[in-house]
Amino acid sequence: MILHQVLLYLVHTFLAIRTWLASLYHGLKKPLAFKHRKRNVHRIKSDSKELSKLPIHVGLVVVEDDFRYGELASLVVWCAAMGISYISLYDSQGILKRNNTSLWQEIMKQQQELLGEDSNKYSIELVKGNRTATQLTGQKYSVEVRLLSSEDGRTDLLHAAQRWCQDVEAKRKKVGDLEPTGLEGLLQATKGAPDVDLVLKFGTVDSLLGFLPWQIRLTEILSLPTHHSIDYQTFLLALQSFGNIEQRFGK
Amino acid sequence: MSWIREETPPDENTWSERFRKFCANVLKTGPIPKHVAFIMDGNRRFARKKGMDRAEGHLMGFEKLAETLKWCRDLGINEVTVYAFSIENFKRSKEEVESLMEIARQKFARLLQEKEAIMKHGVCIRVLGNLTLLPLDIQRSIAEAMVMSKDNDKAFLNVCFAYTSRHEISNAVEEMAEGVEKGLIRPSDVSESLLDHCLYTSHSPDPHLLVRTSGEVRLSDFLLWQSSFSVLSFMEVLWPEFSFWHLCAAVLHYQRNHQAIMRARDQHNQEQEQALRQADYDSVVAELQQEDPDKTDQSKWAGVPILVQKQETERDRRVQEFLQHLDRKRANFLDNLVQKNEIKVCS
Repeated sequence: MILHQVLLYLVHTFLAIRTWLASLYHGLKKPLAFKHRKRNVHRIKSDSKELSKLPIHVGLVVVEDDFRYGELASLVVWCAAMGISYISLYDSQGILKRNNTSLWQEIMKQQQELLGEDSNKYSIELVKGNRTATQLTGQKYSVEVRLLSSEDGRTDLLHAAQRWCQDVEAKRKKVGDLEPTGLEGLLQATKGAPDVDLVLKFGTVDSLLGFLPWQIRLTEILSLPTHHSIDYQTFLLALQSFGNIEQRFGK
Repeated sequence: MSWIREETPPDENTWSERFRKFCANVLKTGPIPKHVAFIMDGNRRFARKKGMDRAEGHLMGFEKLAETLKWCRDLGINEVTVYAFSIENFKRSKEEVESLMEIARQKFARLLQEKEAIMKHGVCIRVLGNLTLLPLDIQRSIAEAMVMSKDNDKAFLNVCFAYTSRHEISNAVEEMAEGVEKGLIRPSDVSESLLDHCLYTSHSPDPHLLVRTSGEVRLSDFLLWQSSFSVLSFMEVLWPEFSFWHLCAAVLHYQRNHQAIMRARDQHNQEQEQALRQADYDSVVAELQQEDPDKTDQSKWAGVPILVQKQETERDRRVQEFLQHLDRKRANFLDNLVQKNEIKVCS
């Protein structure tokens, strides 16, 4: 019925206007927060200490089409300064992976700018797939950054399944031998890293679009409208929300 | 207290019922998620809030499930998957686990009593999970309900009970490994499509929308594989307080994300197909390379596309046979439980 169609259209238009107004308001608030834009590492560290819970592995899932490497780099460096050891940047198409050099340059630049004199205390490394442990000398905070796409999600799981089947075919393993955590050992994308505790999703699409299905078993998923012009305050608020979440683990 | 709520006859409709129907019709002019998954969280918190005991909270939760199923029918959502009991929930106190099992026992028994309504509405009931972890009498009721309704195809209700997604995925991999051991399939046959068909949810499409109530924002080991491209809707409301309007809000939310999700899903499927075709091509070429490294026999090399086609056809045949074998195995498990029940009843 035409009436029904028109009504639905009106409802969706109203919702779209409401979202637009909210982002406008959010955008207007930014200049006020501008003076806080340059955070120093000591302030970040003290903010970090005040959190009730710090994630160990953060997923920065970008579901927007327009990538701003400067802002993504800031997010990575803020995470590192907070003491988060594993950071995974994701976009389903693998655009971040293809442009890893540009992104990396931004990260190095921000590391210098933000961390200043403490910059060489942090070893921010880009890790591809299987990581071999490196010996770190001196007092260094080791941060592993991974650039992931959908082939590191379902496809990685499929390859793990294939490897298991090959082992069974070659009689290296028996059917029934697969432990609950067995498949995990065969995954390559996040080998050596713990499960993701927190996902910060940037963009208005409300889906993870294929991000690491196995590793997000207990991950808290916090959505932010965009990573464009992301400021530290918004990032901190998200981490504070994470800190306040209570998990019961089925009990 | 029943699972299937009947429609009230039109002349007995209250204004609110009529308004609900009107709103449902408005929503239905847009895209409707055909398969919705629910994490029905918040029963215990609701009980605490109202000063009830936990068992009562869970019973209210069940009532809400039955109501929600009817609302879904009204909205044209014909498949619903719910997370009723996680393998992790066995960690709860013995008292609570037993009380939950008792509720399950009563509810599944009740389901069997509603056979007429179930057949009339064409509802296919499936219980997904590691059923062997459950008390035997509950396993038997579940098996009876599943066998009785297996040919129904108007509406689908999947109840995840004694379920975790990781267990489901591992189980699917073990099924494939068994297929390899028996020579039914090869490791190279493992694909997204094959894994999809080995999961407990093999007969369902991936959920289009996943709703979690009570304000929690995680998947808690539910449909991790299947929800990769689902619209996620996290709501603050506690499950026993979930209303038709909350469901409408979730559907509106789905409609707003519909195009982006469809695009991403289609792209992903295209990439998968391309990757599979490439893998087939590569393996045919690799074989030919071994046989004829200097490319002396041009006719063989010219026949590559045909060889690729042949490989695909053979793989499809292998996979079909394997999946039929798997379906039979699962059907036999249920039939055995039902037969044991019948013997028990007769003797």
